[in-house]
Amino acid sequence: MSKKYILGVFDDEATLVDAFEKLKDKGVMPVEVYTPYPVHEILEGMPIKTRITHAAFFYGLFAALGILGFLTYAASISWPLHYGGKPFNAFPSFIVVTIVATILSITLLTLFTFSARAKVFPGKKAEIFHERATDDKFVMVFDEAGIANDSESVKSILTEHGKIE
Amino acid sequence: MYNSAVRGKLIDGDKSFSQISKEILAPIHAKTPLWWYAAMLVSLGMFGFGLYCKYITVSTGIGTWGVNNSVAWGWAIINFVWWIGIGHAGTAFSIFLLILRQKWRTAINRAAEAMTVVAVFCASLFPLLHMGRPWLFFFIFPYPNTRGPLWVNFNSPLFWDFVAISAYLLISASFWYFGMVPDFATIRDTAKSKIKKAVYGFFAFGWTGSSREWLRFEGLSFVLGGIAAVLVVSVHSIVSTDFAVSVQAGWHTTIFPPYFVIGAIFSGFAMVLTLVITMRGLYNMNDFITDRHVDAVCRILIFISLIMGTAYMTEIFIAWYSASEYETYMFFKNRLFGDYAFQFWAMFTANAVIPQLFWFKAVRKRMWIVFIISIIINIGMWFERFNIVVTTLSRDYLPAAWANYSPTYVEIGFFVGTLGMFLAGVLLFFRYIPMIAISELKSVAKFDKPNNGQLKAKSHE
Repeated sequence: MSKKYILGVFDDEATLVDAFEKLKDKGVMPVEVYTPYPVHEILEGMPIKTRITHAAFFYGLFAALGILGFLTYAASISWPLHYGGKPFNAFPSFIVVTIVATILSITLLTLFTFSARAKVFPGKKAEIFHERATDDKFVMVFDEAGIANDSESVKSILTEHGKIE
Repeated sequence: MYNSAVRGKLIDGDKSFSQISKEILAPIHAKTPLWWYAAMLVSLGMFGFGLYCKYITVSTGIGTWGVNNSVAWGWAIINFVWWIGIGHAGTAFSIFLLILRQKWRTAINRAAEAMTVVAVFCASLFPLLHMGRPWLFFFIFPYPNTRGPLWVNFNSPLFWDFVAISAYLLISASFWYFGMVPDFATIRDTAKSKIKKAVYGFFAFGWTGSSREWLRFEGLSFVLGGIAAVLVVSVHSIVSTDFAVSVQAGWHTTIFPPYFVIGAIFSGFAMVLTLVITMRGLYNMNDFITDRHVDAVCRILIFISLIMGTAYMTEIFIAWYSASEYETYMFFKNRLFGDYAFQFWAMFTANAVIPQLFWFKAVRKRMWIVFIISIIINIGMWFERFNIVVTTLSRDYLPAAWANYSPTYVEIGFFVGTLGMFLAGVLLFFRYIPMIAISELKSVAKFDKPNNGQLKAKSHE
C-alpha cells in the first residue's frame, strides 16, 4: 500500500462511538471503521447508505409480475388443458407458486446484490488492517494525507479513548 | 438501544469479546474428542443402512415398501412431513424472534438454522424416492416438454410442494450461510494453523467487518428476515394442501394450514431444545445458552402445545358439527377407537398433555427432564403425521378398498438412514462451524451494562 494510514484501536463500543462523534464534530471522517459486530451509531454516522431494501422491493415486484404472467401464459395461452374442470386461468391456485417463487427470487437476487455491492464474494482476499477487528477490537482507519491539517487533534482524541497503531 | 427490564443478562460470566470468540471457537480449534468419532461412526452406520435400503428401493421397486393401493402414501410422506416440520422451526426461530427483536435468540439461532438445513435435506429424499423412478425427478421442473401437456400442472399441490421445498432449502441454506460469513472471518483471523486460515478464509468471502459491509449486511438480514417469515408460513401451508386439497375424510378441512404450521414449529422447537441441551452438555456452553434460554423455549412450548390441543379438539368437534357421515366415522370410530387408536392417543398425550408439565418451574430447570420431554414431543409429532396419513387412507369411502398399513424393514431402514444423516450433519456442525453466532452474541454482550449508554450520554452534553 502506497498510502499511509493511521489506525485508532478501541476496546469497546462506547469508547469507539464517543471518539467517532467527537471527530465528526470536528469534521474529520475516518476512511473506514472495522467492528466485530454492527454498531448502529457508526453505520448511521458514516457517509454511506444502502439501497438494498429498495432493490429487494423492485426485485419482488418484477418477479411476482413475471411469475404470475408466466403461469397465466403457460396454462391459458401456450397449452390450455383441462384439469378436473378448473378454468384455464386458475388464478387462485397460481398465487401459491407466485408467492414462493417470488420469495426465492428476492432472496437470491438480494444476495447477489449484497455480494456485488459489499464486495463479499468467494475467492476474495480480505484486506485486513487490524487482525483483531473481527475478534474484539474496534478499529477506525484514517488516511494520513487526508487529515494532515488537524492530525494532532485527531491523534489526541484517539489516544484519549483508545490507542494509535 | 433496546433496553428491557424483562430479560436479565444474556451471557453469564462477565466475558470480554475475545473470551466469547475463544470459548465458542474452542471446539473448532481443539482436538477432535473420541466420543465424536464414535458418534460419527454410529451415524454413518445408520446412514449406510439407509443407503442399502435406498438401493433395494431403487433396484427392486416401491413394492419392497409396505404401501398398497389404498394406503399409497405411507412411511415416505409421514417422514417427509415430519422432517420438514422439524426443519421449519429453525427458520421460524431465528426469523420470528428477529422480527420481534428478541435478543435472546442470538445464542440459539445458528444451531436452529443448521438443524433446518439438514432436516430439509433429509425430508426432500422421501418424495424423491417415493417417485419410484427418482432419476426422472426432473420431469417436475416447469420446462416445455414433449411428454404430453407442454407444461406441468400448475394447479397441483404436489407441484406447489416441489416449488416450496426447493425454495425453502435454497433460502434457508443461504440465510444460514450468510449469517456465518462474519464468524468465518473471526476464525480466519484467530486461527493459528495455515490450513484453517486458508479454508475458513475462503468461506469468509473476504469479510473484514467494515462499516460498508455491515450496513449492507444489516439490510440483507432485514430483507431476508422479512420475507422468510412469509416463507415459513407458506411452505408448511403448502405441505398441508397436499392433504387438504384432496376430498378425503379427515384431510379436507380448512384448519389444515394453520394446524400444520403450528405443528411444524412445535416439533422444530422441541428439536432445537434437544440440540441446545446436547450442546450445553457436550461443549459447556452453559454461559451462552443459559438456563433462562431453555426456560424461554419451554414457555413457548407450553403455549404451542395448548394450540395443538385446541387444534385436535377442533378437528373432532367439526367432524361432529359437520354432520358428515364420513367425517364422523373418520374421527369417532376410526381415529379415536379404530385400528390406529394407539397412534392417536400417543399423539394426543405426547403433544397436548405431557408438555403441560412445563408449567412447573421444577420441570423447566431440570435439564434431563426437559431433554426427555423434547424427545417425547418429537415422537408425538411423528405419531401425528402417522395418524393423519394412515387413518384416512386406510378407511376410504369404499369399504372394499379398506386396507391396513405397516412399514417393511426397507422403509424403516430408509428412515433410520435419514436419522443417521441428520446426526452426522449435526456432528459436522458441532465440529467445524461456530455453534453460536459469535458476532450477534457480541452485539448483545453488553446488553445489561448501563455504563455503555452513560458514556455516550456524556459526550452529547
